[in-house]
Parts: sequence; structure tokens; C-alpha cells
Amino acid sequence: MRDHFEEEFSLEQMEQETEAMLRLRYLTPETATFARTEGGFVSLTVEGEVYSRVQVVRMFPFSEPGKYISIRTAEETSKEIGVIESMETFPEEVRAMLSEQIALRYFTPIITKIYQIKDQYGFAYFDVETDRGHCRFVIRMGGNAVVHLSDTRIIISDIDENRFEIPDVSKLTIKEQKKLDLFL
Amino acid sequence: MILNFELSPKELAALALTEGEEVLYAVPYDCDLSGKYVKNAFTVVTNKRLMLLRDAVKEKEYDLSEYDAVKAEPRINCGVLYAVKDGQDFLIVRYSSKHLARYAYVARGVALLKSGSNERAESEENEKTCFVCGRALPGTKECPHCNRKSRGVFFQIVQLLGSYKKQLIPIITLMVTRAIIGLFSPELQKYLVDEILYSGEKKYFAAMLVLVAMFLVGIGIALVDIGKSYGCAKLGSTIGKDLRSKLYNKIQILSLSYIHEKRPGALMNRIMHDTNRIRMFMEHVFCNMFTVVIMFVAVVIYMLVLNWKLALISFIFVPIAAVVSMLWRKNIHRRFRFQGKKSDDVHSALQDVISGMNVVKGYGKEQEESDKFNMFSDVFANVQKRNEVFWAMFFPLLNFLMGAGVYLVIFYGGRSVLGETMTAGEVMQFVSYTSMLYMYLGWINNLPRQLMDLVTSMERINDIMTQEPKIKNTEKACKPEITGAIEFKNATFGYHSYEPVVEGINLTVKPGEMIGLVGASGAGKSTLINLIMHLYDVDDGELIVDGENIKDIDLDYYHSKIGVVLQETFLFSGTIFNNIRYAKPDATEEEVIMAAKMANAHDFITRMPDGYNTYVGEKGSRLSGGERQRIAIARAILNNPKILILDEATASLDTESEYLIQTALERLTSGKTTFAIAHRLSTLKNADRLVVIDKHRIAEMGSHDELMERKGIYYGLVTAQLEMQAKKETAGA
Repeated sequence: MRDHFEEEFSLEQMEQETEAMLRLRYLTPETATFARTEGGFVSLTVEGEVYSRVQVVRMFPFSEPGKYISIRTAEETSKEIGVIESMETFPEEVRAMLSEQIALRYFTPIITKIYQIKDQYGFAYFDVETDRGHCRFVIRMGGNAVVHLSDTRIIISDIDENRFEIPDVSKLTIKEQKKLDLFL
Repeated sequence: MILNFELSPKELAALALTEGEEVLYAVPYDCDLSGKYVKNAFTVVTNKRLMLLRDAVKEKEYDLSEYDAVKAEPRINCGVLYAVKDGQDFLIVRYSSKHLARYAYVARGVALLKSGSNERAESEENEKTCFVCGRALPGTKECPHCNRKSRGVFFQIVQLLGSYKKQLIPIITLMVTRAIIGLFSPELQKYLVDEILYSGEKKYFAAMLVLVAMFLVGIGIALVDIGKSYGCAKLGSTIGKDLRSKLYNKIQILSLSYIHEKRPGALMNRIMHDTNRIRMFMEHVFCNMFTVVIMFVAVVIYMLVLNWKLALISFIFVPIAAVVSMLWRKNIHRRFRFQGKKSDDVHSALQDVISGMNVVKGYGKEQEESDKFNMFSDVFANVQKRNEVFWAMFFPLLNFLMGAGVYLVIFYGGRSVLGETMTAGEVMQFVSYTSMLYMYLGWINNLPRQLMDLVTSMERINDIMTQEPKIKNTEKACKPEITGAIEFKNATFGYHSYEPVVEGINLTVKPGEMIGLVGASGAGKSTLINLIMHLYDVDDGELIVDGENIKDIDLDYYHSKIGVVLQETFLFSGTIFNNIRYAKPDATEEEVIMAAKMANAHDFITRMPDGYNTYVGEKGSRLSGGERQRIAIARAILNNPKILILDEATASLDTESEYLIQTALERLTSGKTTFAIAHRLSTLKNADRLVVIDKHRIAEMGSHDELMERKGIYYGLVTAQLEMQAKKETAGA
């Protein structure tokens, strides 16, 4: 308990933290060793520091999903351990385990087919096929349920705060586009 | 929110429960670890194990006694549940956002289980969708569509109307009268044509008489319509007003926990929007409902009686017209909603730029912004143009289609007249009825939707009306002498049952003692104060005030003994005088002046042109922070409370007003049990005891000197603040 507070309030510590915050430490295959944990997560050893479980976070989840990956400590108020500039620089095996962790963190199914959209009393009911399987969801009409990332790329949020992506609306069939018309 | 879904016998069998084992929680998971959707999958927690079921097959099993904890971690639009054993985390299951809250409760449930408590995690939150019909719920507990009580909602509407019998009876009489007159008027036409014009005689006088009668019927219809509209408008606004005040009263009685569970706009919406919808229904729909339905049915019967063949012919177009009008409405609705959306875009683009004008100008981005705005504006204009053209082109066509039945009637009717099986008057009468029929068709078509709207609004209102306040006076509510002795006995409380904010609090406060509450933000200081103010009930343990459990003390009486000064002072729009008198409306001028003097507020109030009658503006916006604070202190003093609560009362003030307020507070706190929260520790120097709260529990307790000596958390905090201050001073010098 004491430590917790000193961490938060000791001045020296704060200065150190500020400096640490300003530092951008890149992780490379030479400095960082990732390993799968028994429990299905990933651990990291870097410059002598050992982290039994780390979080793998995208900084630009929409525009650069494979670049600028922040590796962070596991607790809720996580701190950055380091940054992977590009996943490409890591060997296949490490990439695979990091990708797994990323996949475990983000859940934005991509809509591949629209069967039906029905609007009724202020809600719209979607019946769609996604890259993760068949799905029905409900969105609130007339809010900010549909967000445009670009002219053709949209993100749809449902009432449970799940998100769905349509990467290119123009690739849908005319019929599907027509169903979607009201939300574009 | 359901935390214990019903499992099928097959699924229960797959669990292979042992003796004395009982399913406590069963919640679905909807995706596997790789993120593929799965169905028929459940996470089941018993008093011994945690298991995963999929298609009635047990996939994984965890013996809870082997693990230290089970935690639910929110991720991005999903979440994972993991178990902890010797500092290692083991992934159990994954789920989408749909079940995020559910799993938080389950994790809390497991924690309760592991602590040996018999308590179960329970959730008061509403589900978002109906499990029966899959429709989204409009923020209510019950689904207005398939809830068996939905017939009950209709019953409630009838009941609601029933209590306005006096106003209702004349309206219904008028409605029926209107239907009869409406039905009768074509009969006059027939009489005029057949008996007078076609009689072969020159019956000028009779013709005039009929014309006068027709004129009078016209006036009669207008008068009845006016009376009906007047009655309905009056009834509608009376019902709206009554519901509004009922709702308002109810919301005020309801505990804060209910209010905090709702989105801030939701309650306002229910008071204003839903009651308004009921008013609108009364004025626009109910007003015509009986007339239209009676006339529709009567016209159909009457036509069949008059000439069933011709009647059937004129009905041919009814289904077509019904479908066409429905499609039309849907299409128009879509188009104009789309237009509304585009108009919103223009609106928000405009608002963006105007409110951020200094940024736009500062970065020299005028051209870009103007291009962007023009784009939105163009899109809107195009949509608008398209819609107007569509309307102009198809509306006449629709009208023609809707009226097409009339042409058929004229055709066949005309032939019958020529064949002398019908008179011209009868055909005219028939044409009138046919056009009436088609006129009301569109209206009736719209009725189900409007009724559904009404039911939804009613359900939303009922949702509040049927709520029982969690904090209310018990039967043995008493009014003990309050001296300010307060005792927490192992008290635990959380706003959601899955995350306790304060846990195992034991604290005894003597009357007149001043307690300083210290701790990081979010540690639970304000929550403790909310408990003392009895805005919430403790979940576990007890809170004793002057020997009585706080639950058994009369609420109004108790609140009249508490004074509160918060960081964000809330003043109501009105005068300073009324704001100070808020807690004691019958206080005399002298009392108010004395209170203001004690609060160091008298001087600044008197310096104002309007003195104590100064209007403070909405939320007191015309006064400075320090002035508002001093008025709040005066308000607290006036009531002469026995228990005083100061929540960051001096934060966000400049040094001078802080000094004034500090001295005012010293006067105020003497002899009263005081709980003070302050970020700046120097303001707590007068406290008899300091209570340091960390990680939801009391970590340290004692006087300033004792705690400094102990060199614990408090010591760390004080030295850090002193260092910070020293640093500021050197930087300043």
C-alpha cells in the first residue's frame, strides 16, 4: 500500500516517470524476447526486465494495424514497456504469437454480406455474414451508430457497443448497398 | 440483467454435478478464443467449479479451490475471463461486448464465493434486447411487444383514461355524433337529386330547404369538430401534465442509485418526451379514432346494404390502395429521414467551424473548411432536390390511385342509372361513401404504428412508476435526537454489486469530532460521504447514527440535520436570499443575515446593487466560485446541522477567498460532527482525526502528528505536497 502511494506522489519518482514517458523505446528482435505463457498469454524479457504477461496494443488500429505496436504492462493502468515499429521486423514465430494476442484484444467483425436490414421504432436490425460467422445485431437509429472512416469505409456500433466494419461499401452488391443506403 | 440462464436438461447432465453442488451463474459466451462466433455456449459457475459448455458438451473445467481468483478483463469491443494461480494468468473464455457487464458480475460472484460469503452477485441493470422477440428494449425492463403484460399496458391506458371520465364522456359523445352526421350527409344529397331535381316538378322551395339543411349539416360538422378538438387538446394536455408531475415526483423519491443507472438524458426524456407523446396521441389520434373507426365500419356496412354488388366493386381497390399507401409512407419516411441526416451533417459542420473559429483562423484553414462545408451543403441540397421532385411527381399519382375506386363506382353506377336499376342520387351517395372509405383508409393504416408508439411510451413511463425506491422510510422509522455520533460497522458498498468501492469500513466518530478523509481520487472518500448522507444503503455491514441503524431513521428528519458544502456548489436560479433559505424556507431575514455573516458572505452580498435580492442566474453563473461557495456555506449554517459534510469545499479557489472560506468553515465546524475531504492537506489541519483511505479500505487513522510519526501513506502525501510547493516557490522566485 505504501509503495502504491509513494509511486504516485514521490516527486523524484514523478520526474523519473515523466522522463520515461517521453522516451520512445523501440523493441527489436535483438533486445526483446517474447514467449508464450502457459495460460495463453505472452511474456516479455527486455534489457533484463521480465514481464510475466504483457498487453499488445495497436496505436493506429484503423490506419496502420501492423505498425507501431505498443507493448504494455498487464494491469489496468498499464504503462508502456516499449514499441514495435513494424511487426515485419520480427521472425515469423514471434509475429504469430503477437498476432494471436492482438486478435484476442480486438473484436471488430468485418461484414461480408448483408442479408437484411429492418428498421422499426427507432432501431435497425441487421442480419449479416461476417468474417467471424453469421450475426444479427441491433443499432440505434439517428445517433452516431455509423461512423465513416473514409468515403467507403464504415464502422457500425450496435447497442451492446460491439463494432462492425465494412472496409469498402462499394464492393457490396447494389442490392446490399441499397439496404445500407439510409445509414451512409 | 440475467446472470443465471436456464440450461437444458442435456446441458445440466453434461455438467455432472456432484452432491451438494449447485449452479450459481450460467451466462452465454458468443465467440471462441480466435474470435469466431459460437452459439449454444455457456460459462457455468457452481459453488465448486467453473465450466465451459458448448452444444451441451463440457469443454473446460476449473476447480475453483485451485485458483486464487477469477477476473474479467474488458478488451476492445470484447472481453476475456481469466483465472489467477500463483501470479500466473490463465485464459478461460472470451465474449463480445454484449456480455461484458455479465462477466464482470460473474467475476464478482466468484470473488464472493471465494471469500466464503453466501451473498450472490445480482444485477439491477436492464437487458438491452428482448430474449423472446429479439427486439431492442426501449430502456425498459419489460419488452413492450411481447411482454404478456403488454395487454396490461392497453388496460393501463384505458384505466388512465377512465380517471378522466368527466372530460371523456362529452368527447366520445361528440365523436359518435360526428360519425352519424358524416354518414347522414350523403343521404341528403341523394334526396336532393332524386326527390327534387329529378322529380320533374319545379320544387324551388323544397330545393332551398334541402340546401339550407346541407348548409346546416356543414356548420354542424365544423362545430362538432371544433368541440372535439378542443376537448381532446384539453384532455391531452391535462393527461400530459398529470403524468409529468407523477413521474417527476416518483423520480425524486427514487434512490440515487436508480438515477445513476440511467443515462443522464434518459430520465429527462421520459418526463418530457414520453409524456408529450401521450399528449400528442390524445390530441391527434384519439381525437379522431372513434369517429374514423365508426365511420369506416358503418360506411362498409351501409354500402353493402344499399347495393352489395356495387359495394364489392368499389372495395376492389381497397387492398391495393392500402398496400400502395403503406409503401408510399415507408418510402417517404426513408427519404425524409435521409434528408434529415444530411441536414444534421450540415448543421454539425457549421457548429464545428463556428465554435472552433479561432482555431480555423489561427491555422489559416479558412479555405479548407469552406470547401468542406460546401461539400456537405451540396450533398444536402441534392438530396433535398431529389426528394421534392419525387414528392411532386408521385404524390398526385398516389392520390389518383387512392381514388381509383371512385371511377369504378362511377362507371358501374352510371351504367346502372342508364339501365334504370339505380337512381342518380344513389350513385352520388355511393361515390361520396367510396371517397370517404378511401380517405379514412390511409388513416387507419397508420393506426397500428401510432398505437405501438403509445404503448412504448406508456411502458417507459410505467417502468419508472412501478419502481420501488430502495431507500425509504421503514415502518419503524424514528426521529432520535441527533448528536452526530456515527459508527460504521464492517460496512461494504459499491455502485455496481460487482465492484465494491468501500470495503470492510470500521469507524466510530464521536459527536462534534472533525474527521478528515484523505486518499487518492477514486479511493472511496466521496462514497463514504454519500453513505453518511444516506443517499445509498450499505450493501453489507451497518451504519449506526446515534444508536439507531441509519435505515430506521426518518429520512426527511435526518436530512434536515445534515449540512453539505460541495466542491461544485449548486445554486438554484433565483435570488441569493432564496438560495440561503433553501434548507429552511421559513428563516427570517435576520437569521439569513447572521448566517451570511458567519460565512463571510455578508459584505460581498451587501456590496451588490440588489443586495440579498440579487438574481444569481442559472446554477449561480453570475457569481464567482468563491462567492457561490460562501453562499453555500451560509445555506449550510442556517439549518444549524448536527452533521456537516465538506467535500473539497475549498478546492479551485484563489488564496484570498480560500482564506475567507477557511475562517468561515472554522466557525461552522465548531461543535458539529464534520467530515471533510480535501486534496490540499493543509486545509485539514484542524481535523481531530484523519482517516486515510486506500484501495477501498481504511489504511491509516489518527491525528496529524500520529500519522506523521508513523511515516506511512499520509506522511508520504504530506512530504510530497510540501516538496511540490517548495519547488513551485523556487521556480517562482
